Formats: sequence, C-alpha cells, structure tokens
Amino acid sequence: MIDPSWIAGLAAILFGIGLIGTFSRKNGIVVLMCIELMLNAANLNFVAGALNTGGVEGWVYTAVAIAIAAAEVAIGLAILLSLYSTQETISLDEATLLKN
Amino acid sequence: MGDNQQQEWNLLLPLLPALVIVPILALLGVDPLDLGFAVILAPFLMFPIVLLVGQVFNGNEVWVGKLKEGGILALSSLAISLIAASWMIIHFLSLHQKKVHGDSITWLNFDVLSHDGTQWSVDAGFTNISFGIWLDSISIMLLFVATFLCFLICWFAIGYMTTDDINANRNHRFFAEFILFSMGMFGMVLADSFLWLFIFWEIMGLCSYLLIGFYYWKESAAAAAKKAFMTTRVGDVFLMVGLLMLYNIYGSLDFAVVFDDPSTGVGGTIVEASELQPALLMLFIGCVGKSAQFPLHVWLPDAMEGPTPVSALIHAATMVNAGLYLVARMVPFVDVYHHGVPGMEELGLIVAWIGGITAFMAASIAFVQNDIKKVLAYSTMSQLAYIFLGLGSALYLLAADHHHAGYFVLGGALFHLFNHAMAKGMLFMASGSVIHEVHHAHHDLHHHENPDGHHEEFDPQDMRNMGGLASKMPVTSIAMMLGSMSIIGIPLIGGFWSKEAIIAETWLGALEYEPMLLGPAILAVMTAGMTGFYMTRMWMMTFAGQPKHEASAHVHESTPWIKTPLVTLSFVTATTGALLASFHVGEFLSGEEAGFHFGVVDALKHTFFPEKQALLVVGYTTIVLSSIVGPIIAMKVHGGKLADGEKANGIVEWLVNLSAAFRPMDVTGMANSRLADSLQNRLHFDDLYEWTISKTITPLSAFSAWFDANVIDGIVKLVERTSVSGSMWIRTYTTGSTRDYILMAAVGALSIFALIVGVSQ
Repeated sequence: MIDPSWIAGLAAILFGIGLIGTFSRKNGIVVLMCIELMLNAANLNFVAGALNTGGVEGWVYTAVAIAIAAAEVAIGLAILLSLYSTQETISLDEATLLKN
Repeated sequence: MGDNQQQEWNLLLPLLPALVIVPILALLGVDPLDLGFAVILAPFLMFPIVLLVGQVFNGNEVWVGKLKEGGILALSSLAISLIAASWMIIHFLSLHQKKVHGDSITWLNFDVLSHDGTQWSVDAGFTNISFGIWLDSISIMLLFVATFLCFLICWFAIGYMTTDDINANRNHRFFAEFILFSMGMFGMVLADSFLWLFIFWEIMGLCSYLLIGFYYWKESAAAAAKKAFMTTRVGDVFLMVGLLMLYNIYGSLDFAVVFDDPSTGVGGTIVEASELQPALLMLFIGCVGKSAQFPLHVWLPDAMEGPTPVSALIHAATMVNAGLYLVARMVPFVDVYHHGVPGMEELGLIVAWIGGITAFMAASIAFVQNDIKKVLAYSTMSQLAYIFLGLGSALYLLAADHHHAGYFVLGGALFHLFNHAMAKGMLFMASGSVIHEVHHAHHDLHHHENPDGHHEEFDPQDMRNMGGLASKMPVTSIAMMLGSMSIIGIPLIGGFWSKEAIIAETWLGALEYEPMLLGPAILAVMTAGMTGFYMTRMWMMTFAGQPKHEASAHVHESTPWIKTPLVTLSFVTATTGALLASFHVGEFLSGEEAGFHFGVVDALKHTFFPEKQALLVVGYTTIVLSSIVGPIIAMKVHGGKLADGEKANGIVEWLVNLSAAFRPMDVTGMANSRLADSLQNRLHFDDLYEWTISKTITPLSAFSAWFDANVIDGIVKLVERTSVSGSMWIRTYTTGSTRDYILMAAVGALSIFALIVGVSQ
C-alpha cells in the first residue's frame, strides 16, 4: 500500500500544473485540458481517500466528477467552436468583448 | 322647434328604468331606512362609469348626442337618489318620531392602545367605526334640499354645459365630479357620526376644488380653485382638532352615543363646559370656512370662476349649507332643557356676532358688484350669515334655558336654510340662463361679421352689458323676480317667513335676556334693507331699461333643458314658504314637535301681530326697509322703461314701468367715493391676506425650497456621486481577459480556504 500522502502530493502537483496552465496559456483548448487536469487531480484525491478508508463514497464522488467533467468539456468545446465561428480565433487574449 | 323639442324629450327615455328601481326595492320589502344607502350608492357607483366610459368613448356620436356626454346617466342616478330620499322622508313623517337611527354597517374595527400611567395595554375591539343612517327633522330637510336641487341643477347643467363649444368632450368630467359631489352631500346629511360627516365633508371640498377649476387652463380659475381649497382647509384643520377633542370627551363620535346624553362623557363623567366649549368652537371655525363666513369668506366670490351650475349647486344651495348643518348639530350640546351642558352661552354669542358681521359686510360689498354672479355670491354669504345669526341666537337662548324662544329661532334659521337654498339655487340657474343667452347672442352676432372668432373682450356676466332683457327672456325674468323676492323677504313669499322669525327672535333675545345680542340684531335689520337694495339693483340692471350692449338686444330663450328646472323652482320658491309656514315647519325642524300641524291663522298672527310691542316695531321696520325703501332706491338708480316696442308679460311689465315711474337718482358722486372704491376691492380683505401670506408663508416656502434644493438634494447628490465614481473605479477590474478572471477566482478560493483553515485552528 502506497502512503496516501504520496498520492496527495501527486494530486497537488497535477493541480498546480493545471492551475499554472490555465493562467499562462493563450490557447482555449489547452486551457480546457488544464481544467480537466485539475479535476482529475481532485479525482485522484477521492480515490486515494476511498482506498484508505475502505468506504464507497470516494468512488461515487469520482464517478459523479467524471460525468461532470465530460459535460463540462462538451460545453467548453461548444463555446470554443462558437467563438471560432464568430471571432475566427480561439486565443483567449483576443476574446475581450466584456472588457469594462 | 316643436319637433326639436320632441327629440330633446326623447333623450330622457333612459331615465325610465331609474324611476322604477326604488319602487321595486320597496315592493321587495326593503326597509325604507336602508334606502338611505341607495341614495348614497346610486351617484357613487355612477361616478366611475361616467368618468371611464366618457374617457373611452370621448366624442362618440351616441355618447355625445344621446347621452349628452354622461349627463343623462348622471341625471338618472340622481333620480334614484331623489326618489329614494322622498320615500324615506315620507316614511319618516309617517313614523311620528323625532329621530330614527337605522342599522349600522361595521366598517373598521380596531384595538386601541391605552396607557394607565405605568404601562401600555391593548383594549381589544374597543373602537369600531360603523356607518348607519340617522334621520331627524334637520337631516330630512337637508336631504330633500340636496336631492331635489342636485337633480334639478343636473338637468339644468345638461342644457347649460353641452351647448358650449368650450366644454365639448370635457363634460363627462363635469358630470362625474358633479355626481361625486352629490354623493358627498347626501352622505354628509345621512351620516350617523361626526367622523363620517367629516369624511363626506372633505369629499365635497375636493369636488368643489375640482369643479371651480373645471376651466383649469384659465389662470384665474386655477387660482380660484386653489384659493377655495386652501381657505376651507384652514377651517377643516380646526374642525378635525375639534372632532378629536369631542372624541376625547365622549369616547365616540357616533351621534347615538354623543347625543344620548351630552352632559355625561366617557365612563359616566360629568362633561364640563370649559372642555366642551373649545371643542365646539373648533368645529365652528370649520363651519366658518365651509360656509364662507367672515374672516374665511374670501374664497366664495372667486369660486364663481366655475361653471354656473356648479355655482348654483355647490356654492349657493348645498355645500355651503354643510357648515350650517354642523352648527345645527351642536344644539343638543347646549340645550340645557334636554341634558345639555350648562354654561356655554358664549358659543351662541360668538356664532351670532360672526353671522351679523358677515351679513352686513357681504351685503355692503354686494352693493357695488357689477358681475351678476358676484352679486349672487355676496348675497349667498349674507343670507348664510343670517342663518348663522339665527343659529347663534338659538344656541344662546337654549344655553340660557329660554327653550321656547330658542326652538323658535332654531326652526326659523333652518327654515331660512331651506328657503334660501331653493331661491338661491334658482337665482344662480336664472343668472346662468342670462349669461348663456347673452354669450350666445354675442357669439352669433360677431360670428356673422367676423368668422375668425376674434373679437373684442366681452364679459357676458357683466350687468353693465345687459339691460332690457325682460321682454326677451320671460321665463328667466319671472324666475329671477320670484327668487329675489324670496331673498329680499317680500311679505308672504319664501324667505320672508323665516327671515322675520330670525330677526324677531334675535331682537327678543337682545331686549329681554342679553344686551350682547343687540349688535347682531341691529346688523340684521340693516342688512334686510340692504338686501332689498342689491337684489332689486341686480334685477333692474339685468332686465329693465334699454339694452346697454348690442348683444343684449339679440337675446332669446331657447333650450327647454334650462327652462324646465327654472319653472319648477319658481313654483317651489313662490309657494313653499307660505305653505310650510302655515304647517308650522319651524316647530318641526327645531325638533320641538314630531310632526306638522296646520294653522294658517296662527302663522300669520305670529308673524304680523306678535304679542310684544317691541317685536311689532322691529317686524314692520324690517318689512318697510327690505320691501319698500331698499327696492325703491334701487329702482330710482337703475330702473327704466324697456326699449320702444318691447313688451314683457303682465307683472314683469308692471314692475319695469313702476321702476321707470320713480324720479331717477344720480349716484355718480357716491359711486366714485372712497367707500365705493374699497367696497369694489372687497374691503381689502383679499389684499390683507395676500400681504400677510407674502410676508410670512412665501419667505418660509422660499427657504424650504432653498433647503430642499441645497441641503437635502446635496446629501442625495453626494451619495450619488460617490457611488458613481466608486463604480467607475471597480469597472477597471473587468479586463475582459479570461485569465484574469480565473486568477481572481483562484485567489478568491484560496483566500476562503485560508480563512477557513485560519478560523478552525
């Protein structure tokens, strides 16, 4: 059995990578991927917790989170498609219609 | 003409259903007392109908042609009221009771907080405000006056208002306000508590304001409406304070509770004159405002800016009687013979003095007025003052326990109210008829010459433009003659009976009991002579002599809508005085007797041959002054033959020739004197009030306006500017860049997380 703190550490690193990616990348699709990364970091924590305590709640949470992530990706991609068809770009720096 | 008239009569067909409603209700077994609610509800429910339908179908052919812009609807609702009221009056007379109190409908029921010195407690269900019908001789008399005159004057208004271009498509507003006013008057007369009396009183005040300002685009009319509203408001504030004081004394404002035994207050305490008298004086100030008595009289002459039917109804026949009605309602408080509170003689004296002063002052101002409606307005003021004088004497005599004399003069005063309302309502309608026809004659005359309608200033109300109308307006001239005779007090006609009673009994009180009454008594006799002068002057200037303006030469009477009510009221004015006097109406009205009893000889003897020597002298002096001296002087100044070839009918022709028979008197010197000048300026009361207001209220208002504009608005604007600049600053944080938002969300989430961790440790 792996020590849960290792798994938590891995999850924290994954989350950090995802967070920094969302801040720093211009490409919308990459940002979407980074968000997925953060979600999966959280899933990893759930799974680790579930293994450690032996309960089923963690598995259930994970299943729900994956379903939400799938829906979110669908919506995100739809937004990006729509953005591309109207603005001809998927660069987040250029989508500034809501400024001020 | 005949065909035309037929068509006009057909317009009255929608009235027929209204005529049968009340008989059907009565056949269904409705208690006649409950018909009082029908009297009030009929105009109240018709009011929104006329207003809204008139607004929606404004200018519609049927609405204008068949329904006379709501006039017919208004007339039918007033017909319901008149029939229901007559039914109630007959029922009341058949009961032979002094007063009847119908079942009340509870309106509001609320708890009252009371304080016993140490703590507050709630008296559950302590006060309930209910509405019921209260009938006694005073209210049935006023109920008849109000319903009858509202009906007739509405009839007149249909003819007067709908034939003038200036009113076209506005008349629904007139008729709606007219019947709302009628509702207020009926309600006030029937109400069984002072609170409801006050509520209906205010409804009338509102309608008076709206109707005076009916021609609101005329600056003078708007100002007159405002003046009337504000002046009566001064009185109404005192009235409300008086009502609160009464409530404090009796714990209720219901007539049934208050009049049951006015000498015991709430919880069986003895009521002291020192606490009741100020309350009654406060009520009296309200009456002074409403009935246009000195010193709150300034609004009534200006109120003549309203359409003439409004002047006839509100400012002559009904609303101004509200003050008299309330003073008459004070009688049980002072009547020591029937559980009154002793020691309130001063109240009666104050009322009598105010009456005497106003009667004299208004009559003297009426001497020099040239506007026919202004003469009538001052005459109204003067006659109302007579009634106040009578009521004041009655209050004094009853408070001093001379109850026979007191009841007699009370009956006389209330009888004068009846006579005056009938005569003055008719006089105003007759003056309206004159104004209407002179205006139309002038309009037609100049329309032919100058189709643009631009012509010189012409005032159809100025008597200096009239003259010689006797032959051209036979119905109007006879109506106005009878009305003037009633107001003057020509023996055996209308107001003579009641005026004699007031003057004689006031003199009796002055000579035998209280020298303080001598002042009002002398003023009353002098005013009687002056009334003879100014009423005759008005009639002569209008109907006798040569036409003084070309328009007056082309006048002719036309619409039957105007003539019918005039004829009806002429008949009423000419006959009811003598008829009711021989039925001893005074004793009935004062509540001394429950019914009428017949006795012509008694009535005549009491009036012409009183037992006391002094009264004989006073009575005949009054008759000589009012019926002979005053009219003859007026005839000398303003009389004269009609133009050649003009012939009026019988008695009018005789009267005109009589006036020409006297040697003319030149009064130019008197007319240019300083007294005449200050009378023209209404004795400078208006100037004085205006000056006072400009020195006190106007600077205060200016300061308030400055305070509002600078201090209060300043604070509001400061808040506004701060929030605007704050918002502008916050706006700069919406960069539009997604990454910034995510960063903010992340920082926010981390902050919350850190906060939770920090707190939990």
